[in-house]
Amino acid sequence: MRVLDVSDLPVGTADSRALLWWGNLGMMAIEGTMFALLLATYLYLRMVNLDWPPASVPMPDLLLPTINLVMLVLSCGVMLMADRAALRGNVTLVRIGFAVCVLVGIAFLVLRAMAMSMIGFKWSSHAYGSVIWTSVGMHTFHMIAATGEALLLLIYSLVRKVEKKQLLDFRCTAVYWYFVTISWLPFYVIVWLLPHLSRKS
Amino acid sequence: MTEERGQTEAAMEATWAPARGFLGWFTEVDHKRIGLRYIVTALCFFTLGGIEAAIMRLQLAGPERHVVGPDFYNQLFTVHGSTMMFLFAVPVMEGIAIYLVPLMVGTRNVAFPKLNAFGYFIYLFGGLFLYTMFFCGAGPDAGWFAYTPLSGPQFSPGKRIDTWSQMITYTELSALVVSVEITVTAFKQRAPGMSLNRVPLFVWSMVVTSFMIMFAMPAVMVDSGYLALDRLVATHFFNRPEGGDPIFYQHLFWFFGHPEVYIIFIPALGFISSIVTAFTKRKVFGYSVMVASLVFTGFMGFGLWVHHMFATGLPQLGQSFFTAASMMISIPTGVQIFCWIGTIWHGRLTIRTPMLYVLAFFFDFLIGGLTGVMLASVPINWQVHDTYFVVAHFHYVLIAGAVFPLFGALHFWFPKWTGRMYGEGLSRVAFWLVFIGFNLVFFPMHILGMIGMPRRVYTYQPQLGWGGLNQLATLGVLPLALGILLMFVNFALSRRRGAPAGPNPWDADTLEWSVSSPPPPYNYLHVPTVAGGHALWDAAPDQPVVVGMRTDHREVLVTKAVDAEPSHREELPSPSIWPFLVALTTGITLCGAIFYAWWFTMGTVLTAFALIGWFWPKREPLPEAS
Repeated sequence: MRVLDVSDLPVGTADSRALLWWGNLGMMAIEGTMFALLLATYLYLRMVNLDWPPASVPMPDLLLPTINLVMLVLSCGVMLMADRAALRGNVTLVRIGFAVCVLVGIAFLVLRAMAMSMIGFKWSSHAYGSVIWTSVGMHTFHMIAATGEALLLLIYSLVRKVEKKQLLDFRCTAVYWYFVTISWLPFYVIVWLLPHLSRKS
Repeated sequence: MTEERGQTEAAMEATWAPARGFLGWFTEVDHKRIGLRYIVTALCFFTLGGIEAAIMRLQLAGPERHVVGPDFYNQLFTVHGSTMMFLFAVPVMEGIAIYLVPLMVGTRNVAFPKLNAFGYFIYLFGGLFLYTMFFCGAGPDAGWFAYTPLSGPQFSPGKRIDTWSQMITYTELSALVVSVEITVTAFKQRAPGMSLNRVPLFVWSMVVTSFMIMFAMPAVMVDSGYLALDRLVATHFFNRPEGGDPIFYQHLFWFFGHPEVYIIFIPALGFISSIVTAFTKRKVFGYSVMVASLVFTGFMGFGLWVHHMFATGLPQLGQSFFTAASMMISIPTGVQIFCWIGTIWHGRLTIRTPMLYVLAFFFDFLIGGLTGVMLASVPINWQVHDTYFVVAHFHYVLIAGAVFPLFGALHFWFPKWTGRMYGEGLSRVAFWLVFIGFNLVFFPMHILGMIGMPRRVYTYQPQLGWGGLNQLATLGVLPLALGILLMFVNFALSRRRGAPAGPNPWDADTLEWSVSSPPPPYNYLHVPTVAGGHALWDAAPDQPVVVGMRTDHREVLVTKAVDAEPSHREELPSPSIWPFLVALTTGITLCGAIFYAWWFTMGTVLTAFALIGWFWPKREPLPEAS
């Protein structure tokens, strides 16, 4: 009987050949579509309305959202470092990176809550309010999930020994972190910048 | 040698042992069992949807009848449509894919077995939720696509539409997780040697379907989500006075809804390719063209949605573009039909029941396709908009295009699933009843539509002259329902008493036919290798098998995406209760939210805890050297 012996092949991998890596891509494709549809909603409603944002909407204050954006983008650098460290199997560096990003995530959520409390309209005020609150709400939901995921992995890595196959979980969380950051960029523009740049009325 | 094989078998039986007992039903992760659950559950919903349709036909059999009142009639057609689309057509195709794709590519389970279990439970809960509400008198009543403003808070108070919008979320979650599993399984777990140009056409069809699900289903979740928000927390997405737009609801819905048609139809194309190949004993004609057509259909499916909205007042350019696109999509389907005809032409055709259903598909789907080309043209579309012509068209496309191949597939793979043959004689009687009944019910609707009968009316006046054709359509329900009943009876009897099937009763070509019927829990004692596009027909007499995988862990072989070279091994999870618990908390969240908005927050927290339980790794004993 001719055979193909695979006993020499590694068991599990933390790189992009892993099944979970591909599953993670699939999930981001789905959620990316969802974010794209939220953007489309904004653009469509902007197209069918003569005054956009409505005259009652105050000019948003850019300070907190901009701090938040810069912080989140910079945290991706830290995540990238943790990501690379996970690929090399350096657990200490992974722990440091995740600890920093969890702190950034929490700070981000606090500032996000403050910014939203000052926005000056509700989701029930008008369609503009509906789409802005839904977009921000969905992204906040994703930030909570990403921060929670990072926190959980951090705690796990502190109380248990990190096996080789679990390094993949850290890497997938890192990729998800980039995704949650990148998907916010267009929303930063429409929620905070566009009212300043162009106002239909 | 045999003793060694016996030892390996015993070890694999122990490692891959299915979950047993009452609790085992909730923890099962075997793709074959979950696939069959999907199929059986979907057929139950199919039966319920069919009963609703039969009641509607009774009501319409003559003018001014009073079998049901207008309010209940509205619920009937809405629940019928929603059931058939969301609880039957998509899940049954997924169920078959979950069962067959891992076997066809030569692996031992889907890539994410726990996610697979979750998908089934959330689908089941969605269906139970809809029917619980329906039996409580709160069945949705605004049509299966629930257009705003009719479905909005102003014109549909109460919980009916909330039921609909949450049911969408349940079932689409299930479809989305399946799509990811199938894609990853098909790309990363193929047997060594099964490069992309040797992948069975059914697997290709499911890959295309899965990609379509990933990009189309989020649209309906977002859309029904907006609808739920408008209704529950007073947002204004579809409220014109506050800057929203009800037409936008239709755009989002059909951006999902048109691909949905292909999500149902493309798996059926895969069934046909499998059946035609097996019953002509010939390699399928034009493999590359077939794959290209599937992919092309997948892309084109996203460029057609506006042809459902021709009557909403669109710019001329939009109408022309979507007319052209709608006509163009008939090309790849035509190409495939000619490839099958070519295969049949050159092969030795054996007519068995699965093949009969394929031939019925050719005949009746052609009619549906032709009326589709007619509907793509704006003037005809306006003339017959919202009439029974449209009803006739989409039943020809969906029943002849997807359900006939599905029935063929049920017969074709029945021996694999149960280990026994179905009764051929009885199945032929059932086939002819279904075929004749279907045409009797739906062909007269073309004419009814052209003489002006609108959809969704609960009755009509005698002087309109629609009585005769309606009576004919209702008469057709008898053979159709009897045929389907006979098919079920045949399956139920054959499951216990049918002749033993053996591994490959059809002498077919794909890998699933190389293992016993039904397959063992681990599918393949040794993962196979593949030497050609028709794995079993092209196999060398001493085709190598894969050795060196652990028998004490649930290991699968991961291969490279394009050429299927072995890459590494991965361990898959054992039975677990967490997928059920996560589905339960998600179900509570969605159901609770329509009664009290804070349930959404509470349920999400519950779900988060359940997810932590799901992902927390089990403490393992140190692995021993194998």
